[in-house]
Amino acid sequence: MFLRLVTDSFGRRPRRKLLTGAALALGMAVATAALSVALDVGDRLAKEFRSLGANLLVTPQADSLPLEIGGVDYRPVNAGAYLPEADLPKLKTIFWHNNIIAFAPILEMYASVATTPDAAHSPNNVQVIGTWADYPIYLSDGSTFRTGIDKTSPWFHVDGRWFAPDAGALKRVNVFPPDLPPGAAGGHTYVPVPDECVVGVHLARRLSLHAGDHVYITYPNRADMQNYLGKPSIGCAVTGILTAGGAEDDAVLMPLISVDRLARQGPGEYRKLYVSALAKPEDDFARRDPKTMSAGEFERWSCSPYVSSIAYSIKQIFPGADVRVIRRVAEGEGQILTRVRMLLWLVTGMALLAAAVAVGASSAASVLERRTEIGLMKALGAGSATVGFLLAAEQLLLAFVGGGTGYALGIILARLLGEKIFGVAPEPTLLVFLVVIGLAAVVTLLGSAIPLRRASLYDPAPILRGE
Amino acid sequence: MTELLATNRAMFWRIIRRLLSANRGRLFIMLLALGAGAAVTAALLNLQVDAKRRFTTEFRVLGANIVVAPRNVHDSGTSPTGLLGDSVIRSIETQTGRNGVVAPFLFLVAHVRKADGTLIPKREDQAEVVIAGTSLNELPLLAPGWKVPMPIYFEGTPPNVCFLGQRTAQALNLKNGDSIELFYGSHAEKLEVIGILLAGGAEDNQIFVQLPAAQRLAGLSGQVSLVQISYAGSPTQIQSFIGKLAAAIPEADVRPVTQFTEGEARIYNRISGLLTAMVGIVLLLTALCVMAAMTNVAMERRMDVGLMKALGGATRRVLRLFLVEAALLGFTGGLIGAAAGIFLSVGLGKAVFGVAARPRLIVYPVAVTLTVIVAILSAFPLRHLATIRPASVFRGEE
Repeated sequence: MFLRLVTDSFGRRPRRKLLTGAALALGMAVATAALSVALDVGDRLAKEFRSLGANLLVTPQADSLPLEIGGVDYRPVNAGAYLPEADLPKLKTIFWHNNIIAFAPILEMYASVATTPDAAHSPNNVQVIGTWADYPIYLSDGSTFRTGIDKTSPWFHVDGRWFAPDAGALKRVNVFPPDLPPGAAGGHTYVPVPDECVVGVHLARRLSLHAGDHVYITYPNRADMQNYLGKPSIGCAVTGILTAGGAEDDAVLMPLISVDRLARQGPGEYRKLYVSALAKPEDDFARRDPKTMSAGEFERWSCSPYVSSIAYSIKQIFPGADVRVIRRVAEGEGQILTRVRMLLWLVTGMALLAAAVAVGASSAASVLERRTEIGLMKALGAGSATVGFLLAAEQLLLAFVGGGTGYALGIILARLLGEKIFGVAPEPTLLVFLVVIGLAAVVTLLGSAIPLRRASLYDPAPILRGE
Repeated sequence: MTELLATNRAMFWRIIRRLLSANRGRLFIMLLALGAGAAVTAALLNLQVDAKRRFTTEFRVLGANIVVAPRNVHDSGTSPTGLLGDSVIRSIETQTGRNGVVAPFLFLVAHVRKADGTLIPKREDQAEVVIAGTSLNELPLLAPGWKVPMPIYFEGTPPNVCFLGQRTAQALNLKNGDSIELFYGSHAEKLEVIGILLAGGAEDNQIFVQLPAAQRLAGLSGQVSLVQISYAGSPTQIQSFIGKLAAAIPEADVRPVTQFTEGEARIYNRISGLLTAMVGIVLLLTALCVMAAMTNVAMERRMDVGLMKALGGATRRVLRLFLVEAALLGFTGGLIGAAAGIFLSVGLGKAVFGVAARPRLIVYPVAVTLTVIVAILSAFPLRHLATIRPASVFRGEE
């Protein structure tokens, strides 16, 4: 009988139910779209903020004070301390390895750069930066992680291409002598890969260099320098012209290994490491000194991807290194992200409010209008509880159907929005679904509860008489 | 005839009054739905305009986005050649106005040691450090991201004080309150350390002093190495400002700090696109939702329509009655709701940005008009009631 009454109510006035359902579905679609976007926006924008470049800087702890003005370090290359290049792949083994988006080691020196091998009047003291570009790191899980300055400084534009990752290195080549007896293993030898470099746009203009030309780099502090080809200077092919908008426009960028060989003859070492890490905006808790935290707090701190806790875990694997947060980038990111999040939550909150009020009004109207029906039911002996239960069941059914439709509609809208703005659609989450359905149920029940209560106070007789 | 028209009109308004006051509950519900819609519309429109403008200011936490340097870029490393004079700084300041912070910098590499009050350069126990001469007062404004411990001075920061970069302080074993001596050529300066600055970059290795002190030390009065500008504005405004500045000071090289201008433009466009799209969708759906709710309320007027038609009311006239009622409701709901919404957005602006959003008067009429339109549109489905046969309504049939 109960079910019959409910289905009858739907079947008898399909248009009215459709309208209430439509109001519900639209309201819940707003709620779904706003919630999905607001939940997703933090991660998306955090990625966008990586276009500002690195937020962590690793330098040797025992370093002498760098004499750096406007991005140019005026210290001689053999002063100060270094960090070993061989340790760098360890960065992808730390707890936060998935948050490390890119890193690039830097070693600078000053050298003379000429366009012919024996030019006498070539500009001296040109900054030569050794670094990585699109450098492959082979991880233990078999995958390859490519990183370098092209990733940590996404605003660098190269007209041409970056130097090859293995330029200047020695390549292992298998040798098979022609008279190799069958079954014997071939030997191998090392062959140097030709040197390559990228030239800053201002320097290129001064030397009228273009991609495809050659430059000859001599390190003046070591006149006796002989590289393994027996020449006093490195000749390298210019693969591209770099526009950086900073000191790099006047510099030559080469693979780290070439600069190490030119300036120091030492093992692969670097002086600065830029790390770009995805981090959670810092709150008051994150700004506390980890030394003053209790064990539980420390655990919570180190398990949140704050930029300071990522710095801490990098410090753990690089003994002798000083890991600093580049505050200009990190603070800016944190502050703006917090603001955007707050703003979107407010917009979401307002959308929820408007949807809730409109839906509540709609269901209140649908109860109001049925006063005669309620009167009749009561006249036939139904208690207030039965009537309320019947109407609540009806409204809940409507809430689930309308809420479900609205959720589907909202997800489509959120996908469109996400794809248009960030190129990635937010994933539908169960949380949003539960919140939306719950909200629909609560709002419809609340909306109908007030008129229902008033209706239950009335005597059936005057209502039926139309008074 | 005119008398009849007058009576008709009086009757019309009388019916409207009765329609509105007949059912208090229904009136309240309709006003609530319309008012909530109007409030959200007004609040979002007001906040949206304000938020975009606020975000351009917000991005200044990233620090300087424009650098003015002498045109002859230094050819050889060790010392920056070329300097900018006072006149350039003044013309930059006039061009920037109140839209940004202008900070002149003079860099030099000087010897430093802990002061013992003698001011005689001794070669031992001295270290070479980069000295950055600038206006120490402006530093927190130029780079809000840095941790600058700013002691409060009521008469401006004194001339003989300095900030130490954090690594400089570590390397020289200096702390807050110590005195240091700087030597450059034949000049010397004695300064008091008033704070340790933490920037996380090259600035941590420098010593920040007042610009006149640095100029005295270098023997270059009225000259600076470069000027950093933190200019607030949308990406296009920043671009046009750079163009304007470059035209105004042809003797200097004006260039954007690509790292920040590019990233900023990208993020700003994302945020403003997101905000516009969100507000658009929320407004559209809210309007539709309010409309559906209102239609639902209006549809329950079948009995009234039936009665009017039974008494000989023409369909058009009946419809007009309901449209006027809806418009009145929309107007009232809009007036109250939009006012509430604007107050709401002022409060919300304060919550998000710490600065109250400026109420924009244009938003108010727009929100009210939108509400009236939504209300009238939602009464239109009553047109279907034209097909109602009064008799069947009274019999309780569908």
